[in-house]
Amino acid sequence: MTLSFKRIGAILIKEAHDFKTNINILIMYLIPILLAYIYDNFIPGMPRGFALSFGILFLVVMVGMYVPSMMIAEEKEKKTLEVLLLSPANSVEVFIGKGLLTFISIIVSFIILIAMFGGVDPDQMAVILVGGILTAVFCIQVGIIVGLLSKNQMATGVVGTPVYMALLLVPMLGSMGSPTLEKIAKVFPTYYYNDMLYRALNEFEGNHTLLDMIPELGILLGSIAVAFVLLLLVYRRRGLG
Amino acid sequence: MIEVNSLIKSYGDKRALKGISFQVREGEIFGFLGPNGAGKTTTLRILTGQLKADSGEAKIMDLDVMKGAKELHSHIGVVPEETNLYERLTIGQNLDLFCRLYGCDIKQTDYYLERIGMLKEKNTQVKKLSKGMKQKVLLVRALLHSPKILFLDEPTSGLDPASADTIHRILRELNDQGITILLTSHNMEEVDKLCNRVAFLNQGEIVEMGSPEALKLDHSNRRIKVLIDDGHGLASKELDMDSKESARLLSEWMTEGKVRSVHSCEPTLAEIFVKVTGREFA
Ligand SMILES: Nc1ncnc2c1ncn2[C@@H]1O[C@H](COP(=O)(O)OP(=O)(O)O)[C@@H](O)[C@H]1O
Ligand SMILES: [Mg+2]
Repeated sequence: MTLSFKRIGAILIKEAHDFKTNINILIMYLIPILLAYIYDNFIPGMPRGFALSFGILFLVVMVGMYVPSMMIAEEKEKKTLEVLLLSPANSVEVFIGKGLLTFISIIVSFIILIAMFGGVDPDQMAVILVGGILTAVFCIQVGIIVGLLSKNQMATGVVGTPVYMALLLVPMLGSMGSPTLEKIAKVFPTYYYNDMLYRALNEFEGNHTLLDMIPELGILLGSIAVAFVLLLLVYRRRGLG
Repeated sequence: MIEVNSLIKSYGDKRALKGISFQVREGEIFGFLGPNGAGKTTTLRILTGQLKADSGEAKIMDLDVMKGAKELHSHIGVVPEETNLYERLTIGQNLDLFCRLYGCDIKQTDYYLERIGMLKEKNTQVKKLSKGMKQKVLLVRALLHSPKILFLDEPTSGLDPASADTIHRILRELNDQGITILLTSHNMEEVDKLCNRVAFLNQGEIVEMGSPEALKLDHSNRRIKVLIDDGHGLASKELDMDSKESARLLSEWMTEGKVRSVHSCEPTLAEIFVKVTGREFA
């Protein structure tokens, strides 16, 4: 199989056009921005750092998984994928195009979110951006897997919800003080990004720069590799049918 | 151009194709006729490489379809049964995507839209189009990369007569330019008008094949209907084509100037289908 930048570009352009008119997906990008805004402005005593880190985590994890899964499931449901695959495009190019659009749009929303909070200092930015990029790549792969396993958009709910809960909610609950929950949460890579966000944004003494977080970055990189292998396995077994 | 031999396909224990064989020659419009569930879509999807047959052979331009040759895709255009356009995108965005994927000139989009009379609608969202318009866009999408063979699965099913006519006209034009066409249909008249040859498909088997003309002659009961004016008004007479008596009568009426019309009674394709399958064509 050969990959062509031109074809990936063609799919990226198509997804970008589609994105602008896809309410289902646009709403997903509004949620983290809205929630972060509400947390920040209407909940008394909520630390600013927490509101921002919640918004970022939701954006990177939830949007990262949800958007590609829906895009793939919709193409299956509406049988548009069939025609794509009759053209010179192959499925990997389709995945990359969709993943890339998700990634770019997450980064854009990410910048909007941070701007909304009046920006962060460079040390903090390094942590949340690098961690965010790695986590987004991981979550986008998970989203593609969910899309592969779902026959249609409805099915992404059934297949995806447990995965979304595990990767978004468990890490958040795990960081709220219960040792048992924390133990469980540590199984999920998103826990480590949540932890990084928390430390960076609340400026823990001494260990809140990127250099203090090499182990977490390693875990995220490892998770990307694991998700990639999983993606290959699912694709080999299930294909796009 | 297309060669199919003993194609068999089952879904679970449901036999959809029971060993069909046929050939399509270069430059032909070949029609696959059959009621719903006959196996038309299954055959087409096997030929386009979207579905694997259980056994049998299928070759397109000497390339083995079963081996799933990706290079085949540049030679074929496919208009599927479902209207699978990107509904939120405009016509232009839909078509440009495929132009880019095939690496063909982006001007092709305008050229074909002009030809189907829809250039004005280029920036209209697909979801705002009528079924007939969508079907025309599907056809354009299949043509962008100038394929040599066009596969169409029920291209006019559910269309208003005017849209169906446009599609027929374009198909004829394309065929005149040398494109080989294989289409499926459950519309007998369409196939009769359009196709050089047809195959009747019934429950996964080809039960009859040939040009519409030849089929009708083969199944003709060799009778003619003559309308005469015998002075008291019009009267319809039926005659056997092969008898001296008919010849005598006809020549008599003709010399007396009584004949108003003469028709031979070939069956329609639909009647032939009923005759060979013993079931109504629905
Ligand atoms: N995916 C499928 N799974 C099970 N049975 C199928 C499937 N697709 C088609 N069939 C069956 O195979 C037969 C032929 O179907 P099809 O090729 O779609 O017919 P047509 O296009 O002539 O209407 C039908 O009886 C249909 O029910
Ligand atoms: Mg069909």
